Amino acid sequence: MLRSDQILATVEMIQKENLDVRTVTMGISLLDCRGGDVEQTCQKIHEKIVGYAGNFVATCDTISKKYGIPIVNKRIAVTPIAFVGAGFLRDDFVRIARTLDQAATAVGVDILGGFSAQVEKGMTRTDREFIASIPEALAQTEKVCSSINIGTTQKGINMDALAMMGHTIKELAARTADQGGFGAAKFVVFCNQPGDNPFMAGAIHGVEEADAVLNVGVSGPGVIARALERLIEKHPEPGSLQLDELAEEIKQTTFRVTRCGELIGRVVSKSLGIDFGVVDLSLAPTPTIGDSVGEIFKILGVDAIGAPGTTAILAMLNDAVKKGGIFASKTVGGLSGAFIPVMEDAMLAEAVGDGSLCLEKLEAMTCVCSVGLDMIAIPGSVDADTISAIIADEMALGLINAKTTAARLIPVPGKEVGDSVSFGGLFGASPIMPVRNIGKSSRFIAWGGRMPAPIHSFKN
Amino acid sequence: MRKQMIISVMSKDRPGIIADITGAIYQLGGDVADLNQTVLCGYLTMILSASFPPEVTKEDLLAAISHIKTSCKFEVSIKELTADQQEENMGPPEETYILTVQGPNKSGIVHGISLFCYNHNINIFDLATTLKNDQYTMALQLDLKHCTTSLDTLQQELEEYSRQSGLTIMMQHNDIFQVTNEVTLH
Repeated sequence: MLRSDQILATVEMIQKENLDVRTVTMGISLLDCRGGDVEQTCQKIHEKIVGYAGNFVATCDTISKKYGIPIVNKRIAVTPIAFVGAGFLRDDFVRIARTLDQAATAVGVDILGGFSAQVEKGMTRTDREFIASIPEALAQTEKVCSSINIGTTQKGINMDALAMMGHTIKELAARTADQGGFGAAKFVVFCNQPGDNPFMAGAIHGVEEADAVLNVGVSGPGVIARALERLIEKHPEPGSLQLDELAEEIKQTTFRVTRCGELIGRVVSKSLGIDFGVVDLSLAPTPTIGDSVGEIFKILGVDAIGAPGTTAILAMLNDAVKKGGIFASKTVGGLSGAFIPVMEDAMLAEAVGDGSLCLEKLEAMTCVCSVGLDMIAIPGSVDADTISAIIADEMALGLINAKTTAARLIPVPGKEVGDSVSFGGLFGASPIMPVRNIGKSSRFIAWGGRMPAPIHSFKN
Repeated sequence: MRKQMIISVMSKDRPGIIADITGAIYQLGGDVADLNQTVLCGYLTMILSASFPPEVTKEDLLAAISHIKTSCKFEVSIKELTADQQEENMGPPEETYILTVQGPNKSGIVHGISLFCYNHNINIFDLATTLKNDQYTMALQLDLKHCTTSLDTLQQELEEYSRQSGLTIMMQHNDIFQVTNEVTLH
């Protein structure tokens, strides 16, 4: 048997520090579901999802109970629907979204991603019809999430698609105005979108993937925060603890957290007879007190989140998480880094409210972590071009740094700075984030065309 | 087929006990498989399993050990395993759990927990306890293969036990502890 202190350290981690597996996401290829018409296609999609994921939720629940580790979300990711529905029109895509929603409900998963298109270089007629369908599709469905990849380091940024994104987001919010613009929280714009990310709203089952695969997203900001607090408590003398030792603690704790995800993923995939894909090492916060990435900044030495030093702390945190996790898992993928989704992290949201964390600082922080400007509630009056331009800045960070970046902005209808919005549950709540220089980027967005791929993409 | 024996030895602790005992086993053509030993309050106790050629009897082994020159006599007990028992003895089952119990020291903690296990037909594979600053900590490795209640009910009953006794009690699957503490992923 192991030593008692090792046993107790693990017990602390699981029972007292919010250790959970944030999501087990089943990726399902729908490429073979194309029928002669939309009805036939929808029928095949429904059959395939139910066929693969019929026992998915029950299996996860059984395994979660056996190991005593909660699996917070059971999700499905499908092939980007614009590929599956090539040649279909706007209304056909809305019909497919309803089918996806029904299938997700039938198998009991929390959420389904992959109502998506990849248009980083150019848009087909289908892609345009698909993008036009997104606001209605998400307003008519509950569980469907949508994402568009508009840029890659290899191909540059599709500025025509970028210009459309601001309008799509505004319309999504307008159609769900009675829910605070919640529709926009189910839609995310990417640069360098991975095909094996288990986290929403950006999960897809990439076209490079097999028929079905299981990806696991671990969590654990609370576990890391508590481990750091314990280490700091043990070294009360000033100068007796240095930053590299704190980084080492994060690394070791991440190893343990990742191992739990790896174990759960392997056991679920074995019982379902589906290949295990990757563990995504992201630190994903929840609105629960004590499960915050924001809290880690304060523990590591800034008195306000967003104060100078915040970006440096995040860089170290993100790197230590990757180093600990990559050795713990056979295959790592997805986004793998610290998330800073404002609404989903109570302490980040609080920092927006007291003015210490601004949009520009968040943008800087996304240079050193995954994923991007995530779950940020902005005034409903911000115009579409300004939203597109905020996204353009975020996409440029991904483009130049060859990393994934994303934007999930919610222009909350009827709300301005000083107000706040709440979506409840894991989606959380936040004061409205001020946006500066509104309405001053339209000439830039109007150019259209493409932002060329950066010089370091030419490696052949 | 070789004969399997379980040997238990207790003695006042001194250097050379393991060398003496395994020397006696080696001289009889024995092969040691598993060995566990611990020292408590200056006394050593060990339990080991070894296989022998079929003609070796437990009396032969007892005689060999009694011929060892030692200042403190060994208290020895030997059991021969039957063929059925040998087959049963194949590694820990899948349903191995770790139970941890923590709380202020008082008499009856070990008895209470072990009785709880017995009442549910749970076998205790391994048990370690420590007393530090008047805090008592127990870690038990349990075999739930023949447990008479479901995991859900068992967890509920442990919660109830925890509430009544004021002890902090947790039960988690053995695999969790392995994956979080060992480099190799089995």
